[in-house]
Amino acid sequence: MKLFLSSFLILFSMHSFGAYKYETVLDNLDDAWSFVFLNEDTILYTEMPGKLKIASLTNKSIIDIGNVPEVAYSSQGGLSEVILDPDFDSNNKIYISYSAKKDNKKITLYLSSADLKNNELVNRKVIFEANAFRRSPAHMGAKIAFLNDGTLLLTSGDGYDHREKAQKLDNHFGKIIRINKDGTIPQDNPFILNQNALSDIYSYGHRNMQGLVVTSSGLIFEHEHGPKGGDELNIIKPSLNYGWPAITYGIDYSGAVISPFTEKEGMEQPLFTWIPSIAPSDMIFYEKDVYPELKNNFLITGLVSKDVKQININDLTTQKSLFSDLKSRLRNIQDSPQGYIYILTDGPNNKLIKILPK
Amino acid sequence: MRIAKYPFAVLSAALFTVMLITPISSISNLIWLNSVNMPIGIFKSLEVLLFDFQRLGILLYGIIIIGFGIAFSIASFLTNYINFSVKYLYALAGACAIGIAMYLMVVLLFESELLGGNRTIIGKILHWCAGFFGGYFYYFLISKNYDYTFIIRYLGVLYAYIILGFVLSWIFTPEIAAADFGFILKELTDNAQNALLRDFTSFFVASFVFVLLGVITLNPAWFYSAGIIYLGAAIFNLVAIFIHGTEYNQIYIGEILLGLWPISLALTISIKDK
Repeated sequence: MKLFLSSFLILFSMHSFGAYKYETVLDNLDDAWSFVFLNEDTILYTEMPGKLKIASLTNKSIIDIGNVPEVAYSSQGGLSEVILDPDFDSNNKIYISYSAKKDNKKITLYLSSADLKNNELVNRKVIFEANAFRRSPAHMGAKIAFLNDGTLLLTSGDGYDHREKAQKLDNHFGKIIRINKDGTIPQDNPFILNQNALSDIYSYGHRNMQGLVVTSSGLIFEHEHGPKGGDELNIIKPSLNYGWPAITYGIDYSGAVISPFTEKEGMEQPLFTWIPSIAPSDMIFYEKDVYPELKNNFLITGLVSKDVKQININDLTTQKSLFSDLKSRLRNIQDSPQGYIYILTDGPNNKLIKILPK
Repeated sequence: MRIAKYPFAVLSAALFTVMLITPISSISNLIWLNSVNMPIGIFKSLEVLLFDFQRLGILLYGIIIIGFGIAFSIASFLTNYINFSVKYLYALAGACAIGIAMYLMVVLLFESELLGGNRTIIGKILHWCAGFFGGYFYYFLISKNYDYTFIIRYLGVLYAYIILGFVLSWIFTPEIAAADFGFILKELTDNAQNALLRDFTSFFVASFVFVLLGVITLNPAWFYSAGIIYLGAAIFNLVAIFIHGTEYNQIYIGEILLGLWPISLALTISIKDK
């Protein structure tokens, strides 16, 4: 009995308090930025220089996808997010966001749809071009998510040099955009009747949003890079102003004050702020069962913090640090169809790591 | 003293130019905040100006010293060959130095404009003008002779200028100030937060005031007082690392520098007064 009890205690403690183990499933990727699961073994992923690829996680084979749009790859720009249509199994449609030069030689954010057929993008169509032209691809945002009603959200960053425009509704700097899958504008968008506003704007007053999640219950959560200090986790609601740069908890990289205010009526407060900055780069809301201790938690990758922040949706005041022993800048996080968590590290020669349950 | 005059003129002209340039970004930012109905008043404006003068100013100061050092050396060389008013030659050199520095900041920072005040044509012109006046001020400084108290006072003001940043940060943005020292303020208890804020603020305010009093009175006791505070911090930092087993850090190097700096000023005054 004693032996059984002690064995049980040892097993129990390993399960509860043991460290996560990691398995590198892909490496030497060329600045991969985002990925999505086609099935449990296969991912579709972007590389910032403008490559879209399919990789098998078991036999490690990699296939280049053809007819990918030309992108402006430098600084924070390039081929960014890829997501699947909710009906991908029947229509093979995907969506990609990227920064590219317009005829005027200035750079802006694009969202294209295309059918993925025979390792080619066919019927490729630009469904959104941001009215946010800049000379360098800084603070692009570029995260995409589907709402439960089938419309698309896209984050469009403030462009760094254009931060004040995040408070104006006549441009796409610092905005979350909502459009239909074909690029048309939903008639129930919040600014559809405002003649001084672009009708595809869903919310405004954002900085550089690199995490966007829609939960199964339909809530929208977003996080954004603050300047020096003041990274934010927000719950997004239509028409609301999130304050940047009129209110902020951070200061500029130069040390200058951006605003001496942290709050104002009519401007939303974040659910959580990070001071010092963690540079949040992606986020999932984990709703599966492989890691019971992570269920109903936001998992947020950090570039500067080099870990994943775990925040429970029922307690948004505290966070835990996970996977810091990877000691890498973390770029992207996804859960597979079966519920396994995969993390992409950041930069050139980056790798994809599978998190094994405790 | 004659040899020291030129580098100290560069340092002084750079500081003078920082005082002209920093408010360009601050005021353009305040004007924008006012335009979106943020309640900007005198105290908020003063807070922004002081913070920017210290934090943004430190960054600019380093850049401008390098720019002025090169520009005034070239201007000095050209005075031998060009028949042109020397004071205006230095003024133009100052304007060129600022213009090139602002351009290089954009090119080297991923085509992004770090200085908010330099994003408009008017802002750019104002920056060049500040450089022009900085050059003119440099000529004014090198055309006169000074005694050692000029350098003592200059180095004392520069020291206070550096410490001012800590003072402002701990008073107005304690969460950011605490983060710089490795504390996540909101994770501390109320008592711990209070202790941290009062002790750190008092530490920096005291050393700031001591040095300012030293600059005004030239009484070496004030400079010794400031120096002892930081040398003490360095010694007990090392005690914490090597005796109490805290993690190694290199902050003690800065603390030793901040301790030796005012003590050197005090010793100079004491020796000269003998």
